Amino acid sequence: MRWTGRIRFLFLAPAVLWVLAFTVFPLGYSLYLAFFKVEQKVEIKRVQQPVLDDQGRPLLEDGQPKLRNVVLRETVTTTTFIGLDNFRRLLADPQVADAVRVTLVFLLLAVPAEIGLGFLLALLFNRRIMGRSVLRAAMILPIFATPLAVGYVFFTIFYEVGGPLAWTGIPWLSNPTWALVSVALVDIWQWTPFCFLVILAALQAVPDDLYEAARIDGASNWDLLTKVLVPLLTPTFVIVLLIRLAEALKLFDIPFAMTGGGPGTATQPYSMLAFRTGLRFFDLGYASAMAYGLLAVVMVVITLFFRRMRESYG
Amino acid sequence: MAEPAARRGASLADGLASLAAVLVAFVFLFPIYWAFSQSLRNPLDTFTVAGFGIPWVNFTPTLANWIDQVGTPETLRSLANSTIVASGAAALALLLGTPAAYAVARFRFARWKNRDITIWFLSQRVLPPVATVVPFYLVMRALGLLDTHLALILVNATFVLPFVVVILRQTFLDLPLELEEAALVDGASHWGAFWRIALPLAAPTLAATGLIVFAFTWNEFLFAVALSSRNAITVPVHIAGAVDTRGVQFWFMGVRAMTAIVPPVLIALLAQRYIVRGLTLGAVKG
Amino acid sequence: MHTRTMLLVGSAALALLAGTARAGQYVDWNADGTATLKLGPEYDNARITVPQSMLGSAFGPGKQPFKGVTISVTVNGAGPKGGISGPLYSFRPIWEEISGGKVNIVELPFAEHYTKMMLDLRNGTGQYDAFMVGAFWYGDIVPAGYGYQIDDLMKSGKYPQWSYDVMPPSLKTLHQWEGKSYGVLNDADGQVLYYRKSALENPEHRAAFKAQFGYDLPSPPATWQQLLDISKYFNGKNWDKNDAEPDSGTVLHLKVGEQGHYHFQSLSASFVINPGDKVTRTQNVYWFDPADMKPLINSPGHVKALEFLQELHKTGPAAQVGWSLGEAWDYFLRGKAVFVFSWGDVGALCQDKARSKIPGDCAAAMLPSSNEYWDFAKQSWVKLDKPRPVGNTTGGSWHGVISNYSANPEATYSFLSLMAIPPVSKLMAMYGWDGVDPGFSYQFLEEDGGTARLDEYVKAGWDPNDAKTYTKAYKALFYAPTTLTYLRIPGTFEYWDILDKNLSAAMSGAKNAKQALDDTAAAWQGVTNRIGRDKQLADYRAAIGYKE
Repeated sequence: MRWTGRIRFLFLAPAVLWVLAFTVFPLGYSLYLAFFKVEQKVEIKRVQQPVLDDQGRPLLEDGQPKLRNVVLRETVTTTTFIGLDNFRRLLADPQVADAVRVTLVFLLLAVPAEIGLGFLLALLFNRRIMGRSVLRAAMILPIFATPLAVGYVFFTIFYEVGGPLAWTGIPWLSNPTWALVSVALVDIWQWTPFCFLVILAALQAVPDDLYEAARIDGASNWDLLTKVLVPLLTPTFVIVLLIRLAEALKLFDIPFAMTGGGPGTATQPYSMLAFRTGLRFFDLGYASAMAYGLLAVVMVVITLFFRRMRESYG
Repeated sequence: MAEPAARRGASLADGLASLAAVLVAFVFLFPIYWAFSQSLRNPLDTFTVAGFGIPWVNFTPTLANWIDQVGTPETLRSLANSTIVASGAAALALLLGTPAAYAVARFRFARWKNRDITIWFLSQRVLPPVATVVPFYLVMRALGLLDTHLALILVNATFVLPFVVVILRQTFLDLPLELEEAALVDGASHWGAFWRIALPLAAPTLAATGLIVFAFTWNEFLFAVALSSRNAITVPVHIAGAVDTRGVQFWFMGVRAMTAIVPPVLIALLAQRYIVRGLTLGAVKG
Repeated sequence: MHTRTMLLVGSAALALLAGTARAGQYVDWNADGTATLKLGPEYDNARITVPQSMLGSAFGPGKQPFKGVTISVTVNGAGPKGGISGPLYSFRPIWEEISGGKVNIVELPFAEHYTKMMLDLRNGTGQYDAFMVGAFWYGDIVPAGYGYQIDDLMKSGKYPQWSYDVMPPSLKTLHQWEGKSYGVLNDADGQVLYYRKSALENPEHRAAFKAQFGYDLPSPPATWQQLLDISKYFNGKNWDKNDAEPDSGTVLHLKVGEQGHYHFQSLSASFVINPGDKVTRTQNVYWFDPADMKPLINSPGHVKALEFLQELHKTGPAAQVGWSLGEAWDYFLRGKAVFVFSWGDVGALCQDKARSKIPGDCAAAMLPSSNEYWDFAKQSWVKLDKPRPVGNTTGGSWHGVISNYSANPEATYSFLSLMAIPPVSKLMAMYGWDGVDPGFSYQFLEEDGGTARLDEYVKAGWDPNDAKTYTKAYKALFYAPTTLTYLRIPGTFEYWDILDKNLSAAMSGAKNAKQALDDTAAAWQGVTNRIGRDKQLADYRAAIGYKE
């Protein structure tokens, strides 16, 4: 039984208002920017003002009021409605198509590998293993290692002349295809442990008698895996998949540090392109349109995700 | 706990599995070890050290890079900034999120159901930061908050709020309702029941949640690089600064990477128990 | 700290002895009308004595004209011992002592410096008083009115005295805009060729080269085509005995976002630039058609140069596609490549025995040139019997520009100018770590028409032969009859970023040369249209000095 009572709104209100203020408002503003061209011109005037003392009286120096340089500025903003121009440009821009391709290939490389490996590791750790809690703790570290720092560390690991993986002869960062694989490998390193932890938790919740029952029915190990465990874990897989998809769409720090998006644009994901467009080249309207393109995709993932989540929050 | 019964006593297989697990753990720890090894090398040893770069075996280690880097005012300032921003964001998110979590755990909402409210909070987490970084930038500029701790605290608090709500909602649900109801019968207000009964019981989770969101904020780069320019530079932004016009200086990078990675990783170990729940946004209890 | 304390005690004692003179911790005002600037260990504790008048009338014993003033200067982050940022740290205490002001050095990551500067200027925040800019940022700074014009300050005689007269015209224009002055002299950038003289003059290699290619190995090569042959010959052979591994021909720094495109600019100049006395639609143009802003970047000359660069890349380590400057330089400094063409830093770093295995075997020369170029007027190739030298000012020539929002432009100017006075500028160019490269008359040797003496270089740790070829190469480069035109119009950073990404795609094999440059041209059109074609055309014409 849950309580009612007006005070519940007071408990809830600060957080709700906060989120409204800090996400809904910026998103609305961003939409505005996508439809309008905003230009600013700053005009400046140099003047000298007297320096005041604590009581607000002009300070004197050699009998004259002491002056200081001050720059006054006035900002003139002009706004023009440009309608769907930015969105049309988005659809026709080869850079955008390229970044979308990079992002998709990255997702396909990284996410299935993370879930597959995570499942295998969970099966491994579900056995009787010496020092399991220590090893399990060690596996948590990558998840919390600062992604930007991780990117730089892997830059040195993939270094092709004298790096620790140089013996493979693989052009880790100098070949466009391999560079994207390398970015995916770093992501796999960082996020397989997450998939592993979640799947392991689900595995450990499988009751012992289920195994016993399967044994009694004469099921082989393979049958046990495919006919019992996989169907049982499917909801977990789906949740992990959706979370990883949503997170992987944010990919930014690792290529920023490791490849700078290169060679060429071979490892420039969508979010990096949008960031550069907005905050390096100040094409704010177009960057906003890009952001909305990404949001549209994310909305699909969110909807799927939360359809699934409703069951957990019933 | 949940090993298949038939497996019990299969010690050879378990031994092999243990070995495999150790190898796996080694692979996952290697990069962090590598950064540490790099940080101990002279510039000339950077590209010429063989094998796994084991100090004393493959090269003579030096602390020169650590002394050079950790002592600089810029490094110290970025560490201080990151600590201030991450603590501030964690405190603010807890302040806002704990009552909200209590509300969805204990009260019944009619028009918007409890789960809709929870899910709405969660959707903020899935939002790609790059979609909001430009408007955030403009808002902070309008408020005159660019390059301040406050700006980064406000932004990060917003992005970690969903974690707080989700983890604590489950914690409050797991608390026995009877204690709070008894307090209400004794004449306490809902606020009193929350403040004096529920909150102290949830304190350990509260602390763990604070640590997790501290680590998330510590690691955040996109907003930090967009919103800071001089005074509020955080550790990840400072790391990016080890790259100059001449390229990455590997030896300094090793030190800076370690200073960035160690604090959140230690925190992760402290708050282990709550991590699965937090990272899956409560979808898996862990 | 400790040395500073010692110095303080020492100079206090000196002050007592000197009578009317005034000795400070970092500057001595001598009784004979001179002043001595005292530098730290990073400059070998050098003492620079100049007439007091060279520091300007605002400064002098007992004067602290900027007491209470704090200025902030941005610079590419490289630390107190790094390129371009290092000298700011070295000269900060000197200026603070004589001016009474304070300097706040703001180091920014290279990739973020431009962004932070532009955000500050566009928003009118005025957080920074000056920026150590690359000259290619001028187009975004000056036409928009963000730069502070310094002509009056230069003429006033109140601040440290330096002049553009020491600069070759090709560098002088980078500090001005339509005849007005903005930049305070500091660094001079241009790419020259560095080569391993011992390898090129080794009789065995010379004989084998002749047998393979049918002509005498030229040392140094005069044409790019010769350089390619030599690179091919040396690549894969262990001709350098510093290690047992095979060595390379030419090493390049090609990492995207890390100035890789400059290699292409310097190399392609002689494939593209049409000689002539003035700037016309077809002569002395490289970037755009000054009639209509149509990109020239995908002309047959540019495409052929890129194809050539792709060939040259094959004579170096494949990993260099991901290398920035430091990694490529270190490869050359370790004796692993016979050629590198890059900035002045390399010549100075060659002398640094902690980092280089090749001091004394690090010769420099003007860049070779192509044996043919694309004639824009006739739309055909012109074959040359004799290679024609084409100079370049490739790079940033990093130097200070004062923000128009600065509340204290005089103080800021005087700080930047302190590093621009001839004896200081000369000293800085002799050191490799500080990233300040030579290009001014007092840095060239007397035999080349300059005023520097060889023994000054030797005293700063140089091998005399290296120093001779080095200064000669830079003199020839900056005074070449034909020079690569420098792009500095609004959006240059964005145009170059597009070019850089496409070049990187071409070098990594993701695109062929034609495709990469066609894509560049198409994207450039988009940028031009967005900023405004008429506006861009006007700024472009002003920047290159084209008149209809």
